[in-house]
Amino acid sequence: MRRILIGTLVLALFGGALAQQIRIMGYGGQDPAILVRLLDDVIGAELAAEGITLSYEPLEGDFNAALFNALSAGTAADIFYIPVETAPGIIATGKVLALDGLIDTDAFIDTLVEAYTVDGSVYGIAKDFNTLAIFYNLDLFEEAGVEVPNETDTWETFADKLRGVAALDDDVYGACFPAGFDRFGAFAFATGWQTFDDGGATNLLDPAFVEAVTWYTDLVREGVAIQPSDIGQGWTGGCFATDNVAVAIEGAWMLGFLRNEAPNLQYGSTFMPIGPSGERGNFLYTVAYGINTDSPNRDAAVRVLEALTSPAAQQWVLEEGLAIPSRTELADNPFFLEETAEAQANATVFRGAADGNVLGFQFGNIGTDWMTPVNDALVAIMTGQASVDDALTEAQRDLNALLDRAR
Amino acid sequence: MKTKRVDAVAAYLFLSPFLILLGIFFVYATGRAVYFSFTDYDLFRPPNWVGLRNYVALFNDALFLSALRNSILFAVIVTVIQTFLALVMASVLNQKVRGIGFFRAAFYMPSITSSVVITLIFLWMFQRRGLINYLNETLQRSLPILLAFVLVVVAVQVAQVAWERRRSLPATWTDPALLVVSLLVAGGATWLLVTTGVLSPRDVPPVDFIWLQTRDTIPSGAPFWLAVPIPLAAIMIQNVFTTIPTFMLMYLAALQDVPKSHYEAASIDGANATQQFFRITIPSVAPVTFLVLTLSMIGTLQMFDQVAIFGDAAPLRSVVTLAYFVYNRMFPGAQTPEVGFAAAGAMFLAVLTLAVVLLQRRLVRSEGY
Repeated sequence: MRRILIGTLVLALFGGALAQQIRIMGYGGQDPAILVRLLDDVIGAELAAEGITLSYEPLEGDFNAALFNALSAGTAADIFYIPVETAPGIIATGKVLALDGLIDTDAFIDTLVEAYTVDGSVYGIAKDFNTLAIFYNLDLFEEAGVEVPNETDTWETFADKLRGVAALDDDVYGACFPAGFDRFGAFAFATGWQTFDDGGATNLLDPAFVEAVTWYTDLVREGVAIQPSDIGQGWTGGCFATDNVAVAIEGAWMLGFLRNEAPNLQYGSTFMPIGPSGERGNFLYTVAYGINTDSPNRDAAVRVLEALTSPAAQQWVLEEGLAIPSRTELADNPFFLEETAEAQANATVFRGAADGNVLGFQFGNIGTDWMTPVNDALVAIMTGQASVDDALTEAQRDLNALLDRAR
Repeated sequence: MKTKRVDAVAAYLFLSPFLILLGIFFVYATGRAVYFSFTDYDLFRPPNWVGLRNYVALFNDALFLSALRNSILFAVIVTVIQTFLALVMASVLNQKVRGIGFFRAAFYMPSITSSVVITLIFLWMFQRRGLINYLNETLQRSLPILLAFVLVVVAVQVAQVAWERRRSLPATWTDPALLVVSLLVAGGATWLLVTTGVLSPRDVPPVDFIWLQTRDTIPSGAPFWLAVPIPLAAIMIQNVFTTIPTFMLMYLAALQDVPKSHYEAASIDGANATQQFFRITIPSVAPVTFLVLTLSMIGTLQMFDQVAIFGDAAPLRSVVTLAYFVYNRMFPGAQTPEVGFAAAGAMFLAVLTLAVVLLQRRLVRSEGY
């Protein structure tokens, strides 16, 4: 009896001394619930055995503002999310630990590692990623007697298919095209255009970019595509769920939304259409885990980072339909071969990352501010307030001012 | 002597909770912000003194100039409109009518509703296919019917008053009892005209006025400092709607103190309702007007939340205000925060607000109140 008591006491003492609390800061929304389930189902027991406990702190609202504040005040967690679009700025604060020699980055998809590499050092391990795919409403295409989009579609054939469905009724549209570079950019890349040239400058007046803008906005001017806000929706997914819009161009994040909001919608998915360059264009969206340089439990944080991005954890994330894993070894996962619409969409999104001109959703050290002038130009053109040339000339001027300030 | 000192100590002790809070969150924070406005601080590297460079940079920044223009136009236009309308509404609510309590509560509702919720609702109403464009279109379509209705009302009213006067009965042109009859007759007549197909709604093209996603201004093509961006006008409408009730309440309190005898004397002298409003009501509530003007000026100069919620729905340059500019530079897209620059903007806003209020005090004082 006494021995047991002493044993318990010793265990409690040592356990208390060894137990390390690792804090993680990330998005709000559904992420806290996902992490709790990931812990319960997959990695929690293993970490607990090593004396590591996790706590998740969601930063609601403006994630970047909250994270910069926390990093500056010294209250940031041991591990935090680094969104790819703001990664250069966050890494530039000097508060992100270089992971060289701490984590084996070879097992992860190259482009994802590159997005977090600055001056040869890797600062974040992508937790998962997404690209854009075409989701199409099977019923609408059938009703219109139009063949559904497929991977051989070019911009012209794709637009013709949308026209065919839009002709069904005044309330039916071929697609929702938001006036935002975060979706439109994929079409710009399909012309071979790049966000930055070798000198770090952006050329919006490049004929290739003008061609993409003209194609994208003409479909809206023509009435084949429509801006989401014009039918009372906040995003393309919302448009698609109304059953009145033939295609949506979104990533795998839309699957969960459709499951909840439009469970009876029959849909399929395929790759982005082939652009004038003969290639598709696509964005690579990702979020990584980074480690705080000031973390008092650095070794435990590295251990947690490994567990969070382990094959077991990624398999779970994939099978739950949450995101596409960032490990190369999961490419041949049997899950991708299942016959369901969701599994096929996931496979499309996964393969989209390696098909054509795929660029990270990243804008150097000016971050998402880069998109503001471009988005303003898209709106002005779509609403008929400015010609393509005028709008892009003005956007180029604003963008140059922005880039000059950041230098 | 001794008790006096004890009293003083006691007073300071009672004041201390407030003084400490004020010291930390106001005096210290302001001092830091003033210091940062002269440095290149970015939250992560130690600040370097740069003198007036941030302030010079402000006036070379296109976004700041837009913000300055927007803030000033917003403050002036909104303050004038909402002060006047608050007074009018308060006068209306100051009547002794059955059920006035309901109207007081109803008119006050916008002020106690969350500004975020109202902004979201207005965002919907201002969409290209939103309620405002729809109402506009409906109005244009039914213009012939409305016009016919008004014409019949006027005709019947004129006929009735003429009839009464021929019988040597006193009747004013707006006699309420006769007006009710005129309205009923006009309603019936219009209904008859529409059902028989004599009158029908006009065919008008759908109204597609872009409230939000535009860089256009009112008046279109006006010089930079006088051009109100259309999305800013949308925020003005919304802001007037939400803040009128608070000021209306202040005016209502003031109006209850205006002696009834003034109005009675005026009506004996033959002053009509409009004359009474301008000659008695407005001068009597002048001190409250100063309070309302000051609060409204400060509130509108520092307007932030509605711009923040509008977010991507309108081009930043068309809606940015000084307060939002400060936030935008403090937390830019993804760059390191420009704390020094943002602090300089904040200092400018503080000085501007102070100057406007002092100027206004001097102006209102000089009129003798």
